Amino acid sequence: MQRLHARYPFLQAARESVATEAVDLATVVEQDDAVVDRARERVVAAVEEGETGEPRRDVRTELLSYPVARVLVSLVDQPVLVRKYARAEAETAYDRFTTDLEDTTELKSVENAGVDLETLLAEFDLEDAVSETGEGYRIAVGAYLPLAADLWGDEWRLVNRALADGEVPVSEAELLTLCREAVRERVEEGLPFDVPDAIASALESEAAAVREVLSDLDLTREIDTVVPELFPPCMKALLDDIQKGEHLPHHSRFAITSFLTSIGMSTDEIVELYRVNSSFGEEMTRYQTDHISGETSPTEYSPPSCATMQSYGDCVNKDDLCERVAHPMAYYERRIDDTDDDDLEDWREARADGDGEA
Amino acid sequence: MEERTRAYLRGRFRDHYRRTEITLPPAANEREWGYIPWTDGPGTTMVRHRSLLELGAVEEFLERERPRHVYFSAGRYDDPGAGSMSEKGWRSSDLVFDLDADHLPSVTLGEDSYAEMLAKCKDALRRLLDFLEDDFAFEDLEVVFSGGRGYHVHVRDESVRHLDREHRREIVDYVRGIGLEFDELVETETVAGLGRKTPTERRTLRTDGGWGRRTHRRLVAFVDELLELEETAALERLQAFDGIGEGKATATLNAARNNREELEAGNVTVHTAVAQLAERFASRAVERDNAPIDEPVTTDTNRLIRLPGSLHGGSALEVRRIDRDELDAFDPLVDAVPETFRGHEIAVDVTRGGEVELGGDIFTVPEGDQSLPEYVATFLMARGRAEKEKER
Repeated sequence: MQRLHARYPFLQAARESVATEAVDLATVVEQDDAVVDRARERVVAAVEEGETGEPRRDVRTELLSYPVARVLVSLVDQPVLVRKYARAEAETAYDRFTTDLEDTTELKSVENAGVDLETLLAEFDLEDAVSETGEGYRIAVGAYLPLAADLWGDEWRLVNRALADGEVPVSEAELLTLCREAVRERVEEGLPFDVPDAIASALESEAAAVREVLSDLDLTREIDTVVPELFPPCMKALLDDIQKGEHLPHHSRFAITSFLTSIGMSTDEIVELYRVNSSFGEEMTRYQTDHISGETSPTEYSPPSCATMQSYGDCVNKDDLCERVAHPMAYYERRIDDTDDDDLEDWREARADGDGEA
Repeated sequence: MEERTRAYLRGRFRDHYRRTEITLPPAANEREWGYIPWTDGPGTTMVRHRSLLELGAVEEFLERERPRHVYFSAGRYDDPGAGSMSEKGWRSSDLVFDLDADHLPSVTLGEDSYAEMLAKCKDALRRLLDFLEDDFAFEDLEVVFSGGRGYHVHVRDESVRHLDREHRREIVDYVRGIGLEFDELVETETVAGLGRKTPTERRTLRTDGGWGRRTHRRLVAFVDELLELEETAALERLQAFDGIGEGKATATLNAARNNREELEAGNVTVHTAVAQLAERFASRAVERDNAPIDEPVTTDTNRLIRLPGSLHGGSALEVRRIDRDELDAFDPLVDAVPETFRGHEIAVDVTRGGEVELGGDIFTVPEGDQSLPEYVATFLMARGRAEKEKER
């Protein structure tokens, strides 16, 4: 077993290596607590943080935890879990391969645990579809469309792309994002599957733990209080920008809008909150908000985690509480919990009062 | 339609199928087949979910059944004859485009003649092919006259057959220019300010493909026209645009004169008025270049489409494949007239007369009993405008 496979367990070669080691999953889940432990952590972290947790140093544990995690996801058998899990694995893989690709030092580790772009493209049968140009890459439109389908933002829509000769030009960063989508699709493929009874009963308590985490998540989703003063600093800053009429990049607009939907705001309310500035483009806001809230799309998007906010440069004005949470939603939840109910004034009610007086 | 008219058309459709060789679409046995028989009453019932296994050889089937309309599926399946889509086991689908005169914004229904509608449809077809052959670089294309009011294009390139409905919608939006955002056509880079303290942004329209290239072509063509004009005429042209007054017009004309090369390279930062103008041309490019295809046909991966070589029961014209290099010369009202119906006249009772342009002639058809070239008569009967004359 190679470290490469442990870092990228969705690779075909990793799957084969698990198979050739004649690993019997039933035995593993019964006897190998370290693997089961790590598998549960993968899934729980996926739900809670949108990540897959801290990798184990032992290659075998780390690698085997992936197929076991898939079993666990299948056992719980909920579409939202499949989505979140696949997204988290893809996000992890993305973080790892972007690091690998940046690492141009010749001193690659002896085990060679990194991937290069060529390997990555070949893994997803994209080597013929993608070609390098002076300024970036070109990808065949037939390969582009499925990979870009779930990406948010006008810039991914084909109509806004410089399609020519059957190919879509993409930057290197965009190509890597498409690779992340390929990983997500790979992880999601075949989930959930039927789990043999013997394995299912061995993982009963882990499945129960995951279910509980999921139901907790539902609770956090039920926040239905809008107090802009308690928003995390990042969201305050974004909202401020919108209200000042500044043009935000897509990821930023996505972040603030998905945050607002998650705390219970309707499309109409969001439009109104943004409206402080007159030139914000109501039509577009409606379209995007409906999309994010799952009104007009199959997915209900959740707001990005702190890690994602950081990597997009949207994490600003960090305060003490920020150091202790991993998600803007968690920040907001804490602030609301810490405030007396009587002192909470919901923006929507304040607004209604204001209307009354006018 | 009266029984004797229906019987006549059925009989003549059979004669047509007897003497016509049908070229089947590739993988015909993996496709679903369907047809609409000649029945009385207003309701039309489609017989579908048939496989070639059940129908037998297509030519024999057509001769035997001589249906009013015949279709095959864009999709290919494990079991094309299964009764429901989920049981069929979808494998892939041709990418199909439908241009229908009824849906063209340029067509005025009730005012344009059949010939005019078809001519406008052919213009739209050329724009569509421009996207498909140039932007998408598809290679396996089949262009078909539908026998009715438009054209179909079947794309069978391996590289797109796996695409599902959502992906196909992106292709529809692309050729129709739906969701176009001017800002996305422009690349912004920060350049060190020349002699300025703050760096400035250079915004460049993408000229290497997509709607950016189309917008750019129109913009540059316009600029070239401007440069040919006298100063006052040029300024007037510019001020015809909403939101462009004298000042902006002068600035734009100066930019056109002094920065022609920068404009050629797509740089729209030369003046704010130019950027504004470019945005106008993006909308104009969409207005003029888009191909108004019928969306559901393209996104439906299980769609049934008319079989080339068969007859359209609503016109008695032939559904005709068109060789790509014969497209310019193709005249649907001549070339789709079935050979079988040419060269003789038959007696019909016309219930709704009028002008009929067909077979290279224009006929002014009065109402009542008369003798007409058979293709005119079958066209009117199929359209419900004439009945076969009673035997005396």
